[in-house]
Amino acid sequence: MSAVIEIDGLRKTFHTLRQGRRVAVDGFDLLVEAGQIHGFLGPNGSGKTTTLRALLGLVRADGGRMSVLGAPAPARLSEVAGRVGAIVESPQFFGNFTAHRTLRLLALAGGVPTSRVDEVLEQVGLRDRGDERVKGYSLGMKQRLAVASALLKSPELLILDEPANGLDPAGIREMRDLMRSLAATGVTVLLSSHILAEIQLICDHVTIISRGRRVAAGRVDEVLAGFDQHEFQVRVAEPERAAELLRGRGLSVTDHPDHLVVAGVDEPELITRTLGEQGLWVRELVPLRPDLESVFLELTGTMPHPTVPRQVDDSALPAPDGALIELNARENREVDA
Amino acid sequence: MNLVRAEVERLSARRFVQLMVVLLLLAFAVTAATTLAGSHRPTVAEKSNAQAQAAAQLRSMEEAHDRCLRIKAGEISPEESDYVPADCLEIDPAQMERLPVASDFLNGVFTFSAEARPLLYFLIAFLVLFGFLVGASYIGADLNSGGVVNLLLWRPRRLAVLGTKLGTLLGALLVLSAVASAAYLAAFWLIAERAGMPGRLDGEFWRSLGATYGRGLVLVLLGATLGFALATLGRHTAAALGTVAAYLVVWEGGARVVLQILDAARPDRWMISSYVAAWLTGEAGFWDNHACRGDTAGFCDGFYTMSWRPGLVVLLGLTAVLVVAAFTAFRRRDLI
Repeated sequence: MSAVIEIDGLRKTFHTLRQGRRVAVDGFDLLVEAGQIHGFLGPNGSGKTTTLRALLGLVRADGGRMSVLGAPAPARLSEVAGRVGAIVESPQFFGNFTAHRTLRLLALAGGVPTSRVDEVLEQVGLRDRGDERVKGYSLGMKQRLAVASALLKSPELLILDEPANGLDPAGIREMRDLMRSLAATGVTVLLSSHILAEIQLICDHVTIISRGRRVAAGRVDEVLAGFDQHEFQVRVAEPERAAELLRGRGLSVTDHPDHLVVAGVDEPELITRTLGEQGLWVRELVPLRPDLESVFLELTGTMPHPTVPRQVDDSALPAPDGALIELNARENREVDA
Repeated sequence: MNLVRAEVERLSARRFVQLMVVLLLLAFAVTAATTLAGSHRPTVAEKSNAQAQAAAQLRSMEEAHDRCLRIKAGEISPEESDYVPADCLEIDPAQMERLPVASDFLNGVFTFSAEARPLLYFLIAFLVLFGFLVGASYIGADLNSGGVVNLLLWRPRRLAVLGTKLGTLLGALLVLSAVASAAYLAAFWLIAERAGMPGRLDGEFWRSLGATYGRGLVLVLLGATLGFALATLGRHTAAALGTVAAYLVVWEGGARVVLQILDAARPDRWMISSYVAAWLTGEAGFWDNHACRGDTAGFCDGFYTMSWRPGLVVLLGLTAVLVVAAFTAFRRRDLI
């Protein structure tokens, strides 16, 4: 497969008079290949939007190499801009213009036939509200308009930063279906989102960023498989006896008030056979697969703590080569304690 | 070309621009209506009476000049009512820029030749304000609302996008200003023809009015460019308004007072408003409080003049510096 987006060693540091120097992206790598629906995940402030802005030429990178559809970015971005649809962070439009005029002006500026305006308004569900001023729109409607603006060019590559922000459940579902239908027509999608369940449902590949560095990348199922501890939830009539029997077979068992969690199980028949041979009949046997949320929280070191409020910058700092080398100070203290 | 078309449509669709055009038309209509209501065609008797008064005043001026020469020559003694300057040329009617004319003595009669220039100054002042505010808000609102970011996602060439915006603004403003000024002058010329007096509209009058018209249009474009550049640098319309307000209060007001207290020579040289006046009028006169020091011989002309040339150089230079700074900042800026 050919690379549609390549980012190699991207670095960006912001300097402000009041807050001094802040490293936003620190040697970040990203590879998105043609036809992928690629999820781009990271905690707040981890550098996702800065990466996308740098890729689209809105922020000047301090170092690294980027290319979009084979063109070095941002130097030759203009050569491929007509094939890339993008929205970055919260959509912002001129409030006094209608959605129709907003899109018409973009179409005019980009040399796209203005007949596309009605098509994309229909596609994102704004057909009947297109002649209203944008300032009267809800956040979800603005988000739909932003997606419409990205679709206007009939892009080969769609870069969407938090497209589900502000959408109602039906809107999220529609957005998911839209992504899938676009992917089915060969459009490559890079999707940044905080809604991890959505990413897991839509995306086939994922890259996770923490504090400006990549912590994981690959196919979603492969990333999840890396965290699969082969655990099963077991409900049985005599849990204490069952636990003893399973431990006797060398399995790791954790007691819970109404069930057991058995880890390190390659073949689930081992559980049913071990308990059945002793007259204990299994009432429930559920494989516990890791989901993207738990993997994300673990990889980024952002697992919530019941007593200590997590701060925005409290996330894992991976080593430049991708391995986690440092957790934040608070978590280190907790481990020590 | 597509980008220009899009920007023209964006500019004309802005409510602020539409509001300012309505205000312009309103000011136009009110001025024309009040002029029309307050003017009438002079009767033959009124005209002859006014001509007689003008001739009488001219005679009186010639007599005063003649008396001055005779007093200087020692032929007669000065009376209390005589004004005797050091050089009688000062009151020589032949040396004066403008002599009394009949229209000066016609009450309630709109005379185009006498009023055209002040009317044009009023329109130019309005258009400069219009240009500055539209120039500042056009880019300021776009930067503030994220419109520029949206546009750059489509056309990722910052200098081309900003340059197109500035070019579109100046082109549209030039057309609007030229048409509005021409229509404005034509309307008042018609009022003078129908309900007043055209006055003396010779070649010199039209040349002079044409020069003011042209210089006014340049000033409108410079004002718009200044607003655009300041708002680009400050990323907000308010940045341009604040900068100009601060300049007027701190420098044109405060520093002028300080310079006067310090008794600095020719403080007007340090004020942009002096160069604006010099450019627009062709030549502006200022008082030099150091010029007549120690002169006890009588008449001392302490005025000095500034021609349109330094006015143009200063205004162009200032605008060019700000435009270069704005484009450089926009090219390098992180749009976050």
